[in-house]
Amino acid sequence: METVAKRLYEALFLVDSAEAATDAEGVSAHIEKIFERNSAEVVSIRKWDERPLAYEIMGKSRGTYFLVYFNSPSGRITSIERDIQLSERIMRVLILRADHVTEEDMKKDTPATMLDKKAQELQDSKKAPDIDYTAEAENEDLDVD
Amino acid sequence: MRSQGFNRNKSKTNNSRRRKRKENTREQSQCRFCRSKTKYVDYKDLDVLGKLLTHRGKIFSRKRSGNCASCQRKVRLAIKRARFMGLLPFTS
Repeated sequence: METVAKRLYEALFLVDSAEAATDAEGVSAHIEKIFERNSAEVVSIRKWDERPLAYEIMGKSRGTYFLVYFNSPSGRITSIERDIQLSERIMRVLILRADHVTEEDMKKDTPATMLDKKAQELQDSKKAPDIDYTAEAENEDLDVD
Repeated sequence: MRSQGFNRNKSKTNNSRRRKRKENTREQSQCRFCRSKTKYVDYKDLDVLGKLLTHRGKIFSRKRSGNCASCQRKVRLAIKRARFMGLLPFTS
C-alpha cells in the first residue's frame, strides 16, 4: 500500500460578483463540492474581497474572490483544475503550493472581513451615544425631583 | 568690487548646503524586502505591489525600485500572478 503524501495548497477563485451577492453560500458549496469530488480536504474557505477587475474578464467588470486552503495529493491538482475550468460559475482560478503558510496566516483578516469589521464599529459607535443620552436624561429627572 | 565679494560669499554658502545634503542622505544598503526580511512576496498584497508599478501598469526597474535581484524576481512573479487574476492591470 502506497501512502500518498498530501500537501497544503492555496486557491483563489474569481466569481461573478452578481452571483456571489445573491447566493454566496451556494458558490462556496459549489467550490467545496469540486474539492470533495477530487478527494481533497478543505481546510478553510473564505470570501477574500469584492472589487472591480483591472480588466474585463468574460465581459464582467466586477468580481468576487474566494480564498481556499486545502490539502490534496499533488497528482490530483490537474484534475481539480480541469474540473474548475469546466464549471461555468467560476471565471478564473489560481492554485499555488502553500507550504510556507501558517495557521495564523490563514486566519488573517481579508479585505472583506476588514470592511465588515469597520461597518460593525460604525454601527456600534452610532448606538453608544444613545445609551449616554438616556443616562443623562435620568440624571436630569432626578435633579428636578 | 563689493558686488564681487558678495557673489563669492553667496557661492560659498550654496556649496556648503549641497555638501550637507550629500552628507545627510545615505544610500540604502539593502532593498525594502531584505530590510523587512520577507521571504515570500504575496500576489494578494496589492498595497506593496501597487507601489512597484507605473501609472500605466508597467513594472519599475530595479534601479527605480531599489530592489535586489532576487527580490525583483519575486516581485515580478507576484505581479504577473496578480495580473492573471485581474487584480492588477497589464496596461492601462
